[in-house]
Amino acid sequence: MTPQLPEDVPSSVDPLDLRAASRDLWPGGTLDFVQGVAAPEPDRVFLPRDAGEVARVLRWAAEAGVPVVTYGAGSGVCGGARGMAGSVVLDTKGLDRIGPLDRDRWTVDVEPGVLGQHLEDWLAARGFTLGHSPSSIWCSTVGGWVAARSAGQLSGRYGVIEDMVLRIEAVSPARGRFVVGDGGDAPEAWWPMLIGSEGTLAVITRVRFRVWPAPASRWLRGYAFDDLPTAVRAMRRLVQAELWPAVIRLYDPVDTRVGGRTKSKDAPEHAPKESDGWLARMLDAVDARRALALPLALPGLVNRLFDAAASGCLLIVGFEGDPGVVDAASRAASALLADEGATDLGDGPGERWWRSRHHVSYKLIPIFEAGGFADTMEVACTWARLVPLYHAVRKAIGHTAIVMAHMSHVYPEGGSIYFSFAGRGDRRAYDATWRAALEAVLAAGGTITHHHGVGALKAAAAAAEVGPAIVGWHDARAALDPTGTMNPGRLFVEGDPRDPPVDRLDPAVDGLVLVPAEASYDERQSAATSVLGELMWPWRTLPAPQPWARMPWQSGPMEVRARVGGRPCVLGRGPRSATGPDLRPWLLERGTNREVTLAVAASGERWMAEGVVAQPWSVAQELLRADLRPAVLTVVDGRLRVGFRGPAAAAMGALARARVPELEQVPYTATASPGGPLVACALDDPNVIWVTTNSAFRVPPTVLEEPMLSLVGAEAP
Amino acid sequence: MSHPVSTCALCPRLCRPVCPVAVGSGREAAVPTAIASVLWDHARGRVSDALAASAASLCVDCGACRSFCQLDAPFPDHLRGARVALAGALPHAVPSPEPLRALEGSGVTCVIETDGRPFGDALSQRLQRSVRRWRTGDALGVAAIDGMDLKGPHAAQIRAQASGLALVVAHGGVAKVLSRLGVPFTWLHELVPSISGVASCCAPGAAAPLGCCGGAGPLVVQHPADARRVAQAWAARAEPGVRVVDARCQAHLAAAGHAVPDAIDSLIADLA
Ligand SMILES: Cc1cc2nc3c(=O)[nH]c(=O)nc-3n(C[C@H](O)[C@H](O)[C@H](O)COP(=O)(O)OP(=O)(O)OC[C@H]3O[C@@H](n4cnc5c(N)ncnc54)[C@H](O)[C@@H]3O)c2cc1C
Ligand code: SF4
Repeated sequence: MTPQLPEDVPSSVDPLDLRAASRDLWPGGTLDFVQGVAAPEPDRVFLPRDAGEVARVLRWAAEAGVPVVTYGAGSGVCGGARGMAGSVVLDTKGLDRIGPLDRDRWTVDVEPGVLGQHLEDWLAARGFTLGHSPSSIWCSTVGGWVAARSAGQLSGRYGVIEDMVLRIEAVSPARGRFVVGDGGDAPEAWWPMLIGSEGTLAVITRVRFRVWPAPASRWLRGYAFDDLPTAVRAMRRLVQAELWPAVIRLYDPVDTRVGGRTKSKDAPEHAPKESDGWLARMLDAVDARRALALPLALPGLVNRLFDAAASGCLLIVGFEGDPGVVDAASRAASALLADEGATDLGDGPGERWWRSRHHVSYKLIPIFEAGGFADTMEVACTWARLVPLYHAVRKAIGHTAIVMAHMSHVYPEGGSIYFSFAGRGDRRAYDATWRAALEAVLAAGGTITHHHGVGALKAAAAAAEVGPAIVGWHDARAALDPTGTMNPGRLFVEGDPRDPPVDRLDPAVDGLVLVPAEASYDERQSAATSVLGELMWPWRTLPAPQPWARMPWQSGPMEVRARVGGRPCVLGRGPRSATGPDLRPWLLERGTNREVTLAVAASGERWMAEGVVAQPWSVAQELLRADLRPAVLTVVDGRLRVGFRGPAAAAMGALARARVPELEQVPYTATASPGGPLVACALDDPNVIWVTTNSAFRVPPTVLEEPMLSLVGAEAP
Repeated sequence: MSHPVSTCALCPRLCRPVCPVAVGSGREAAVPTAIASVLWDHARGRVSDALAASAASLCVDCGACRSFCQLDAPFPDHLRGARVALAGALPHAVPSPEPLRALEGSGVTCVIETDGRPFGDALSQRLQRSVRRWRTGDALGVAAIDGMDLKGPHAAQIRAQASGLALVVAHGGVAKVLSRLGVPFTWLHELVPSISGVASCCAPGAAAPLGCCGGAGPLVVQHPADARRVAQAWAARAEPGVRVVDARCQAHLAAAGHAVPDAIDSLIADLA
């Protein structure tokens, strides 16, 4: 019997709707559109209004064997949301409710179809912010952010989207409705599978986010560097010194040179610029619409001209939050950058960038109008690989496209490079450029995406990157979507198996240490000490607390190296990779010969204090809520212990003492933090062992009773 | 390669959060970029007149997209142009405007009263001078104006009749027609400051995205189901105390199940 179409769920077969659902913002699709190639259209567009209606659509589709493509705002640039022939599109924009906002816990619940800007406006009207500010905030949805592992321009302070999510409600064809994360009823192993699942596995129907009061102060400044390697080194030192700038944007010499010539009403102007006659005029013409055709046809020459003419990089650094913290961190950052040879350009470049931070999105239009193509590729890797990877990509595609880059998401373990490239030709030329670029990234040991996700565009490269760990995703699919109706052909398309590149690790630069997964806490800590200093995040067990039980800046292991079915596998080749779901927990659980890299804090300035206070965990939470980011925050023998590292340690310590006068300085001791898993509890629960800005945590009662046998490397806490 | 709407068709849908139709209907097809892509394909002969006309009328002609656009792309103008060019292919016929009625009374100050909402006498008493009256049953033919050439004969008649008058308006639809025609006017509540608390979707400065309840522009005539969904979204988000200044919108909201008070009633009561 043919399954009955869920007639009660709003849907449309209007040609306008089918046509609109056939395209997202993948530039390859835009190129097709400009060149008159029609996109395949879905058969129907559903516009459900709640999770129950989503469940009815998914159940029907699974029974009828009809593929389902989930569509947020279609701002995805990898072709993952485009309806396909014979499919139905499930548009989430009917799920558009915001709230409740929990002013005590600093959380908000949001449905997936809410546009980013509408959420920010709603929160701003109530004195809060999510802090997620992707360039696409005007044209992307909350569900799309979580499904494609989005990152915003303030990621240094608020984290990327996976650092902000505390709980996810979703619907899958096999499981129906379920909740995972803080207080959820579904297996926690599904958490890392859902974030980044890109419409495969399930539809996200509600998300709980951590929010922050609107920042009381903001500081932005520009710095000039003579060359890219010097600037990268300075940027690395800044984050490895645990100064946590909210904004950090380094423009390569080419981007620095051409940046700012947007046609927006409020054009940003990057510095430094010098005028050098005919060459400057020619370069200036590059983004003048009429003059574009020639440079696009001669990308190799233009790249060489750029290389010859461009020198100097612009770095923008910004802090926001508590005025005292902003002041202390920005002073330390300025001193560190001066020490690295930066020229202080004042607040102009930063202020200009801030005003026009979303306008860059208009820049690609004239290139398509001129008959060219333009696209962006955002990758990530560890620090030592960053500059080589940058050159490898430029070399790989420099003959077919004009290439420039900036770096705007950096972490103690590494950073992301955002390449913009423009060329001329049809889809074949475009596809060839992409293939070469992705190959170069994989060969250089990077992850192929940091925040745009995979879609259809990078599905083969994503499968190559995750290698045999794809079995983890197959496992999740068997549990959630066994008939494979959810966005088939996207995310992973398996091709020829290949081994990961041979890895080099330079602990002094990478700030990472490689240890066996079975190493005890003491062994991990002494490995860190032997190379540099101490573990940056000294979790007592290898599985760190779950993401919703950590603050955005606190990480677990970065790389996981293991063997699966006899084949080598390396996951986490760059921090906050968006190559589909995070398969590292699965690899840690199921791989053999497991090793992990852990972030290390170099030895340097330290500050620590202890004191007896009433309700110490409550006070600890207040310190986090005051924007302090202590390296150590715990209660030892009834005494609150607070420690800071890095060049701002003493200043941050003074701020902590101003809030908690009972704190008295003591010699610094590296102190373990609890490992995972944890469960939320009340702040005054006698078993509290950990806090975030949103909750207190304790060890799950079952873990107290029996050891965590299923967790790799776990020790009794 | 480029075309008048190519900038909008190639834009990454940046103005979508301010478009009341895109937001309120939830339809991806109503996002200005999606509409622009249909118009561009129409210009290249790839889609029918009917499809292009249907797309071009997914609009309340509020202008929010243009105000928001960093490139100042005149998209609402393109849509208006497309609706004029494709008038014969619109999903529903555009109603003919009511013939203009003669002015009544004397004086330079002239109120435009929609049927059943007279406030000229009260204003005359308040200002202590005579006030002329311009009555209209269809808000100066707002539905027609939304879908027609602003340079056409009906538009010319309105301009001619308005010439030399200081117009006072208390109706969103009328205000919209005059704005489109470039005819200056004053809102009643601006002229009489004691009338406070007028918060209206149609009043100047109404906030995007749901500055419009969907009762205006070609949308309500051509796509009534979408107009109803915009009304529902509008009502769900409306700030407490919002009152509309357009009888048409009030009726439109009422039909969608939302009894929103009409600001005119309170204005008139206050004047009296
Ligand atoms: C101009 C521009 C600038 C951009 N800047 C940034 C940036 O700064 N940072 C950044 O991270 N990204 C950026 N992007 C990429 C894009 O905005 C992000 O990938 C965003 O997360 C996609 O959200 P969306 O709602 O548009 O999702 P869509 O494009 O609609 O969908 C993306 C994927 O997620 C799936 N999906 C969507 N909603 C759900 C759901 N509820 N449940 C399950 N699966 C779902 C879809 O099936 C698809 O596979 C930019 C894009 C553009 C066009
Ligand atoms: S004029 Fe208003 S309704 Fe029409 S497309 Fe622009 S924003 Fe949308």
